[in-house]
Amino acid sequence: MDITEFLQAHGLRPSTWPMFADPAIWRFFGEGIRETLLISVVAVAVSFVAGLLLALGRLSTRRWIRWPSIAWIESIRALPVLLLIVYFGIKGSSLFRPIFGPDFDLPRFWAGVLGLSMYTSAVLAEIIRAGILSLPRGQTEAARALGLSHPQTLRHVILPQALRLMVPAMMAQLTTVIKDTSLVGTIGVFELLRQGRTIYTQFFNPIEVLLIVAFIYFVICFVLSQLSRRLELGRAPRLARIKIQEVQLRDQAA
Amino acid sequence: MIPGAIVFEFPKDFFGGLWVTVQISALGLAGALIIGTGIALLRVSPLRPLRWIGAAYVEFFRNTPLVVQLFFLFLGLPLIGFRFASDTFDNIFRAACVGMALYHGAYVAEIVRGGLLGVDKGQIEAARSLGLSYVQMLRFVQLPQTFRSIVPPLGNIAIALVKNTSLASTIGVADLLFGAEVVESRTFRAEEGFGAATVLYLFLTGPLGFAVNALERRMLIAR
Repeated sequence: MDITEFLQAHGLRPSTWPMFADPAIWRFFGEGIRETLLISVVAVAVSFVAGLLLALGRLSTRRWIRWPSIAWIESIRALPVLLLIVYFGIKGSSLFRPIFGPDFDLPRFWAGVLGLSMYTSAVLAEIIRAGILSLPRGQTEAARALGLSHPQTLRHVILPQALRLMVPAMMAQLTTVIKDTSLVGTIGVFELLRQGRTIYTQFFNPIEVLLIVAFIYFVICFVLSQLSRRLELGRAPRLARIKIQEVQLRDQAA
Repeated sequence: MIPGAIVFEFPKDFFGGLWVTVQISALGLAGALIIGTGIALLRVSPLRPLRWIGAAYVEFFRNTPLVVQLFFLFLGLPLIGFRFASDTFDNIFRAACVGMALYHGAYVAEIVRGGLLGVDKGQIEAARSLGLSYVQMLRFVQLPQTFRSIVPPLGNIAIALVKNTSLASTIGVADLLFGAEVVESRTFRAEEGFGAATVLYLFLTGPLGFAVNALERRMLIAR
């Protein structure tokens, strides 16, 4: 018989709802929320840059850039994000020791960012690529005919349009990343779920704590997903919409 | 030393784990399809309260992390006197399967609903005016037409599900990722261990991905 059964059998588990009136508990949750939001924003920012490079790599006309990009994106997308997070949680420090010296210790936060953005960058790359491919070919042709070089065409014509088209899809991806941050607790980042686990191991009240944690995640993600729906995918061409739907279904992780 | 040999040094952790991953995926997917179809029918039902329940289900399960749901199933439920099995290991295994089914059921529901709404309204009206009851109309007219168009997106859900079974390792199910972690903690050969797990995951999700992509391309041409 484990402790929770024992407590329950003897009626020793009183309702713990009153303890949540204490502001100290909420300060504790607040720290978790801050960490969750911070790590997701940093991870999305990092993955946006990496994803843009990967998308351009996959669209490159040079084979020795295109094929490795395809292989990288597709294999990362086929992996569980938790595997990447756990790997960097264990080996993150020693990966950087050749660069930063033998005493380097990778902060947990950055190990989490690394794992999350390695995965998210591959997903964002696919979203950005769908946006670029959905633009009418006339745009590129006109730009080239006007004498713009290939990089200039990308920089001034293609990317501004494609990225604007993909804003709602990227916002939807942000909600996925926020849900995924619940996984970096397993490598010791003190995000929302991890804070909740600390509380319920002290007070034996996982039901109350997990309901509150779920509710907080729900509010954040629900608001964001409603916002991205408000922005509408309707303007994106059909092919891009299909691609985005695929990406969102396949790569929504935890 | 041969790369990948670690798999055969610890076959129980890797292949046993792979088998558990496959089991959770299969059971979870079956459950998700059943739950998802049920919720989708609620969402398109003519009764407003039923539609409301369906919508609440979908929004709740899609907007909370799967890990939180898993923790609730295996830690929270026993406290209110509900266990999936008296044995602890059976309990977490079943909790993982149920968690997968509940979470992905919400996504399946949205896809099935999209498919149901995609069926031409004239078909439904024609079926009803021919004297078919609502249930008969669903069974013989609306659902069969739905299934064709939703196969590729459901394939994507299946891929996501296989990847997400790795979260079961956080509640202690000895799946593939768990096996890799165990091997790493015994041997400190992280690259080999996680590399082997990576290959085994690719082995599961890779063929699925190819199949779905091929199907999608065919559907694009057909439409």
